[in-house]
Amino acid sequence: MESDLRSLRITSIEKEEEDEEREDFGKEGEQEDDEDDEEEEDEVEVTLGFAEKPKNPCLLLRHLFPSKAGGVPVKKLSFFYSLFIFFILRIVLSSYISLQALFQFQHTQAWLDPVDLPAEKSFTCGFCREPLQFLLQIYAPISDKEYTFHRMLYVFMCPSMSCLLKDQHEQWKRTVENPCRSVKIFRCQLPRSNPFYSSEPPKRNGTDIPTITGAPLCCWCGSWKGDKVCGSCKNARYCSAKHQSLHWRLGHKIECSKILNLSETSASCIVNAKAKVRATKKYASNSLWPEYEIIIEEECTFDSEIPEDNRSITSLAFTSNRIDETYQLLSDKFEADTDKKVWASFQERIAKAPEQVLRYCQDPAAKPLWPLTIGRPSKEDIPRCNYCKGPLCYEFQIMPQLLFYFGVKNDPDSLDWGTIVAYTCLASCDASISYKEEFAWVQLYPTATVA
Amino acid sequence: MERGGDRGGFGRGFGRGDRGGRGRGDRGGRGRGGRRGGGRREDEQKWVPVTKLGRLVKEGKIVSLEQIYLHSLPVKEHQIVETILGPQLKDEVMKIMPVQKQTRAGQRTRFKAFVVVGDGNGHVGLGVKCSKEVATAIRGAIILAKLSVVPVRRGYWGNKIGKPHTVPCKVTGKCGSVTVRMVPAPRGAGIVAARVPKKVLQFAGIEDVFTSSRGSTKTLGNFVKATFDCLMKTYAFLTPDLWIETRFAKSPFQEYTDLLAKPTKAILDDVERVDA
Repeated sequence: MESDLRSLRITSIEKEEEDEEREDFGKEGEQEDDEDDEEEEDEVEVTLGFAEKPKNPCLLLRHLFPSKAGGVPVKKLSFFYSLFIFFILRIVLSSYISLQALFQFQHTQAWLDPVDLPAEKSFTCGFCREPLQFLLQIYAPISDKEYTFHRMLYVFMCPSMSCLLKDQHEQWKRTVENPCRSVKIFRCQLPRSNPFYSSEPPKRNGTDIPTITGAPLCCWCGSWKGDKVCGSCKNARYCSAKHQSLHWRLGHKIECSKILNLSETSASCIVNAKAKVRATKKYASNSLWPEYEIIIEEECTFDSEIPEDNRSITSLAFTSNRIDETYQLLSDKFEADTDKKVWASFQERIAKAPEQVLRYCQDPAAKPLWPLTIGRPSKEDIPRCNYCKGPLCYEFQIMPQLLFYFGVKNDPDSLDWGTIVAYTCLASCDASISYKEEFAWVQLYPTATVA
Repeated sequence: MERGGDRGGFGRGFGRGDRGGRGRGDRGGRGRGGRRGGGRREDEQKWVPVTKLGRLVKEGKIVSLEQIYLHSLPVKEHQIVETILGPQLKDEVMKIMPVQKQTRAGQRTRFKAFVVVGDGNGHVGLGVKCSKEVATAIRGAIILAKLSVVPVRRGYWGNKIGKPHTVPCKVTGKCGSVTVRMVPAPRGAGIVAARVPKKVLQFAGIEDVFTSSRGSTKTLGNFVKATFDCLMKTYAFLTPDLWIETRFAKSPFQEYTDLLAKPTKAILDDVERVDA
């Protein structure tokens, strides 16, 4: 009897495990075949990103691996936090130890790998040679491989529309080795144990600090490596001559002399002064896009059940059962041509969650949601990975709602896109350099004809 | 609460890192899932424009449809029309028609909805949508109707007293075998038309008109489209008061400030005033 009971138990546990396995498989199985013969696309799970003002600015620091849009790559608000702390501590006590701690905090970098930042050749726009502006970054780890435990994708873009129009020509070229683009995507990945972050997850209660400080950033844009120093005060750092001249005109001329004056006093005060100067200035650029945090939600949570009450209406409608082919032929004018149909299905898809700014899907079979029929890449238009020569596959796309959130003006020269689709290396290769460039495809709306 | 290790990455990330939103518990407060039952009203207010024209409309820089018509800008978002015309925009379902296709397993029935929208003051739109479910078809047809809103020109029969009340001249529209002819009528005549075009003309804001139709008007789809085509032609007809040369103004994409300047509005106002 006991053996029977035991055997019963064993079989029931096995059954449970089987059920669990099946359930897990069901969750992880990203493809559900739609029974509808009209809609042939397989249902893949899409993750959406929404832009939201960050509730707590210090949660957007780099060691907490945030996903954000606008502002600078993670650094901007850490300054406010450090400024706050600085003033509090100044009031309470002013010892070198506290200042040292602040120094570490102030030097927090935005980039995942804070040391090996992209070179000047790769961070300038291919057409106007200005440094690219930070658009967004997302934290997209891949669980399969060990070296992609941490994985960040950065998107940079030149804010000029004329560069984007020229970029359209570039992206159609297939065999260019180093294309000059105005939209660039960088991928950076780290294994779990790395010299920059601890192997334990951050506690997210305000006590986390990064373990190492990285390279200093340009004080105008806050995005790129600031290896050029201001000639007079030796304090301000810039990534390029353009940003240096902009900053000089828009305020550094006055500040520079102040710093010079302060540095003439005793050496101990220099530390104070430098700290003060660094703490008081934010990123000087006034043209950066406003900062948002990207909140992640699954698309399937927005599928609402609309009760279909067909019965009452169909009784009225079933007056005749003739096959009305003539209607179908003649109604094409008013229904939709292919372009309108594509647009209509695009609208329908985003209507589930109209505020989405990002669509993400890691499934290799996923297809991006295109708003238009024209301007789509074919398989041959998508090049191979620059580093491992492997295939690229669609990972995420940026939606035009982001322009609305950024408050982009609607002049003829202001930015406007249909969608920006990112194709990343399928194998997520781990090559020599830290920040690898991926392929971006921009689909623009056809320019409206002027009467 | 933080899941490292087998999931890859720490905490909130894209990809397979974050199912069920448990990591977002502390940020709760947005109630996104709860908006499912919220209804249409909230969604309309929460419209996030996708096109440049949509952004201009949302900001409030474009307040009338005429500014869009003047430069032939394609309207791709139906919320644009909703925002501009507002509550005056009314819609009506003209007919729900089942259409069938023969398959191996029997017949596949879909429903075709004809919807007319209009504000009763010179703007009408017609939308046709076919779908497996009636509600979907109606919803889709309403959206298509809003996207196809056109201006209707009204004029006088005789004395130019008061507001324009009838079509400016005899116009005719055709779709399939159905032709619809509209003739100006004196005040008080009312809309002299069959039930179907009468509805469309009421939405357009025409008060008096004589109509005459020919062809198989039983086919409601063609009949409605013929009247719509007829109304579209009212602004295509060159009357003597349009003989003056138009001064072209810059499109809202080119320079917003010019759009509010006198010349553009004057052209449209002139037309109305000359009729009056």
